[in-house]
Amino acid sequence: MASVSIDKVWKYYGQTPAVKELHLEVADGEFVAVLGPSGCGKSSTLRMLAGLEHISAGEIRFGAKRINDLPPRDRDIAMVFENYALYPHKTVFDNMANPLKLRGVERSVIEDRVRKAAAILEIGHLLERRPGELSGGQKQRTAIGRAIVREPALFLFDEPIAHLDAKLRAHMRGELKLMQRRLGTTMIYVTHDQLEALSMADRIAVMNDGVLQQLGTPRQIYDHPVNAWVAGFVGEPPINFLDCRIVEEKGELRLVHSSFDLVLRPEQAAIVRERYAQREVRMGIRPDQIAISTVETPDSFGGQILVTEPIGGDMLVDVSLGGDKVLVKTRPDFEGRMDSPCYLTLDRGRWHLFGKDDGVALF
Amino acid sequence: MATQVLPGGALRGDAPGGINPVGIMPGFVTRDGVTVLEAEPLARNPEPSRRYYFYMMAPAIITLAAISLYPFFWLIWMSLHDVDIMAGDKWVGLKNFERLFTRDAKFSNGWLLLIQYSAMCLFFEVLLGVLIAVLLNRSRWEKVLVTVFLMPMMMAPAIAGLVWYYLYNGTFGWYHWFMQSVGLLGETSILGSPSTAMIGLVLVDIWQWTPLIVLITLAGLKRVPRDQLEANMVDGAGEIRNFFQVVLPNLYPFLLIGILLRFMDNFRFIDSVLILTGGGPADATNILPVYLFDVSFQYFKLGRGAAIALTLLVVTIILGMFLVKIFDSPAARNVGRTEG
Repeated sequence: MASVSIDKVWKYYGQTPAVKELHLEVADGEFVAVLGPSGCGKSSTLRMLAGLEHISAGEIRFGAKRINDLPPRDRDIAMVFENYALYPHKTVFDNMANPLKLRGVERSVIEDRVRKAAAILEIGHLLERRPGELSGGQKQRTAIGRAIVREPALFLFDEPIAHLDAKLRAHMRGELKLMQRRLGTTMIYVTHDQLEALSMADRIAVMNDGVLQQLGTPRQIYDHPVNAWVAGFVGEPPINFLDCRIVEEKGELRLVHSSFDLVLRPEQAAIVRERYAQREVRMGIRPDQIAISTVETPDSFGGQILVTEPIGGDMLVDVSLGGDKVLVKTRPDFEGRMDSPCYLTLDRGRWHLFGKDDGVALF
Repeated sequence: MATQVLPGGALRGDAPGGINPVGIMPGFVTRDGVTVLEAEPLARNPEPSRRYYFYMMAPAIITLAAISLYPFFWLIWMSLHDVDIMAGDKWVGLKNFERLFTRDAKFSNGWLLLIQYSAMCLFFEVLLGVLIAVLLNRSRWEKVLVTVFLMPMMMAPAIAGLVWYYLYNGTFGWYHWFMQSVGLLGETSILGSPSTAMIGLVLVDIWQWTPLIVLITLAGLKRVPRDQLEANMVDGAGEIRNFFQVVLPNLYPFLLIGILLRFMDNFRFIDSVLILTGGGPADATNILPVYLFDVSFQYFKLGRGAAIALTLLVVTIILGMFLVKIFDSPAARNVGRTEG
């Protein structure tokens, strides 16, 4: 078991920085997901942890030990690769036994540990097969098996379930989380899929363009994004952004959009007064935090339904709102029709305000 | 809705007479939670005629027959005759073969030497070829160096033979002079002594054909999946283990191609041997192809020559199939696939 400190780490490829001054502390036994789009530096970070990439600047420590200059085999880590990286000429058993064999573990112990790991992963009946004869999910389990037989101090997972089909992926999310809880091993899990990060991790590190945007629990990331980019990246369907203006009237601050007009609550107004000098702002609101109805109510405002998309348990509605388009998630029995008027109500406290230019969250 | 009968509705089994409340059509049955259809279409659409394929292949088959099959059968015919251009051909049955296998010491000697020669060439070419390819693959000047390494291969084997003939020459050959200066050689030249002549030939072959193995191996090295190397490093392997555990298995299919090409080439090789030694001294380098050349085109025993050629062909085919079998093991077959 080990805690991990990533201390002011940079990664350069030639002159191009891929990771910029990353600072991240992972506690012993914690499951941290590193989330970001491709090219955000998340894989580079993982590869620096594994010892497969040189650390251009800064320091990485496992516990109190600096590991910058240790080769991968001396770091006591196990890694699961995006394409599984199984050895095609070896059987499942030999694939899983490889890290133990390379460390000179006794034959009987290897046998024992591989069979145990295979039992946990339910691939005990496949041990004599070769990777070419396995399905995607079975290969993936073999790759995980190879990682867990060694009982390492740290797991590094690089998009391990990205190539599975959607159904199996949903199943594996639960299994991986359960496995990590049972083993209690520190885990750093790189993914571009916000659903994986939200559903599995204790904490999420959201990265973009080589920079750590936000570090927090899934709830914090989802409910209190620090900037418009995080708000836009996390959440499915994505958050709606509406350009608005702040108007001061009789000592009150009002948020004005072409089709609605809200009075900011005193605490919201105080934040805006204190931290934001401009008038132009950007409002962010998630599709499931807007109520939609075909009947007008006192604090609702009107829009026009563009498209309705039933998706089984829910219904997505595209609404035209004074030139902007807003996506609303509602119940599947919503009876609105295309091109007819509708009325939206905002979930009072649960929308966000971002600076127009810098995108920094005000609340 | 009225009862609807499906096309070809050979309605068997439990289909109700009409569309049932959940919309299952006649002919369709739900079993174990899956809807299945227990009917077949009334008529199938005709499949395209296969004669078309034959017409497309005919030119290739005819060409192949003319340039390859006809000479092959002629070879068999010749091996069963005493071919004499002046006196006419005479049927001798298997006499040519009988003579080869019972009374011809040069034939068995030729085989022995050929196997020695090929084995030595192959062994060193593969060993050196892989080694050089691995080094080149890590070199910053790979592209330039590959071009340089390929030069011997570009040379016609007969020319290469001439070049080495002069290098080995006992009076003015540079290699001869060098080897003598460091005390490795006595007075006789490399090709002049029965004990070293074969080594001289092998060296020429290694010099000329190792680059081919380098080239093929280099192509293989580019295809070794990087994530397997990295996974093995994380698993605890160092450079050398990585080579034997990941790189080499991934190279097998490529090495097979190289070994097959070289082995088949060696078995019919003659050019530089004729120039360098002509089979001598004292038959020390009289490998089978050279002997075949002598029998057919020096003594004009074309029937016996054809018999030698036929045995050579059969052995080449058998050994080739054997090689493919070794390398086509289940382990090797899975190599080089991207798992994902």
